[in-house]
Amino acid sequence: MPKNITIFTSNTCGYCVMVKKYLSSKGATYEEVNIDEHPERQKDAYALSGQLAVPVTVVTKQDDSQQVVVGYNLAQLAPALT
Amino acid sequence: MSENNPVHDVITIGAGPTALSAAIYTTREDLDTVLLEKGVIGGLASITDWVDNYPGFPDGVAGLELGERLQKQAERFGAKIELAEVTGIHPKKGLVEVETTDGIKRAKTVLIATGSDYKRLGITGEDEYYARGVHFCATCDGAFYRDKKLVVVGGGNSAAQEAVFLTRYATHIDMLVRGPKMRASEVLQNEVKKHAGKITVHYNTSTDEIVGQEGKVVSVKSTHNNKSVNFPTDGVFVFIGLKPNTGFLAGSGIELDEIGLIKTDTKLQTNLPGVFCAGDVRSGATMQIASAAGEGATAALLMREYIDHLARTPQVHT
Repeated sequence: MPKNITIFTSNTCGYCVMVKKYLSSKGATYEEVNIDEHPERQKDAYALSGQLAVPVTVVTKQDDSQQVVVGYNLAQLAPALT
Repeated sequence: MSENNPVHDVITIGAGPTALSAAIYTTREDLDTVLLEKGVIGGLASITDWVDNYPGFPDGVAGLELGERLQKQAERFGAKIELAEVTGIHPKKGLVEVETTDGIKRAKTVLIATGSDYKRLGITGEDEYYARGVHFCATCDGAFYRDKKLVVVGGGNSAAQEAVFLTRYATHIDMLVRGPKMRASEVLQNEVKKHAGKITVHYNTSTDEIVGQEGKVVSVKSTHNNKSVNFPTDGVFVFIGLKPNTGFLAGSGIELDEIGLIKTDTKLQTNLPGVFCAGDVRSGATMQIASAAGEGATAALLMREYIDHLARTPQVHT
């Protein structure tokens, strides 16, 4: 399991809900940063992903390397959790 | 029948309003039902800001909430939703095999309810600036445009609905409508008019190119009455109609119509035995959430009839 997972979300984003559901189904815990409630954190999401989009999932592994997954992308999310 | 690869009564491909409505009916008939979803449970409805025309919600309902309510209702009766992508489908020995990213699954009946997705413009800049200034989901990405200028392309229900949604963030929205009037419902057009201070609608305006500088979108080049017009903007949201999600059917032998929608008979059955289709992806669909849900229920009853018929008919497989 990763050391830490952070998800950037917004209030109305259906794909964000799916990422959270997927992580929960895998028993993964995560910190959520909602950019509607914390607009000052938008720039963090952009800096990490290079995209103006959520969800952005940042997986920090045990060796402190990071993997950033933009969108609800099972092909990237699943291996990122191992 | 192997426990590792059981034969389900019903597999739905997709878990939008059509499939979830079907699952409410099939599970109540005690049919073992699995829904396979590669995207968002609730489908396109779940990424729509607000739904005002679904029966039973007099004050409207958030698309996300509608999707979650449908999911809960289907799961209450035993529907199982699996997050997987379908890559192929074919009949085999009286059953239907569904190839997925999680392996092959088998069922007596399959309901294709993959719905539709937003069309792309196919113009310069659209791919280059995708998710970096060009977007197809206002509820996902709108929050990045607080106090910014936006362009919304399209004049249908989605374009009108999402333009109104985006007024909560943007300072101003130029709405580019290709024809002389909007195709959106009167109610939605009135909603746009209520936001006239923030939304300016430009009719007879084609969208020709999305222009960027230093990695960011800066303007949209358009043509209005044969004259070139430039709209400075921070981002572009595109809602120009829907395209059916049928790419995974290549090579399956399922018959499509001239625009790629799945052909069915009056019993919602495709040309492959045991394979049904309903909702936005079906030829003749009205592309409404309420009709998608209704078709899902109808398909469920017809699949039950098909399964009953299978049970009464001796099967000969070669």
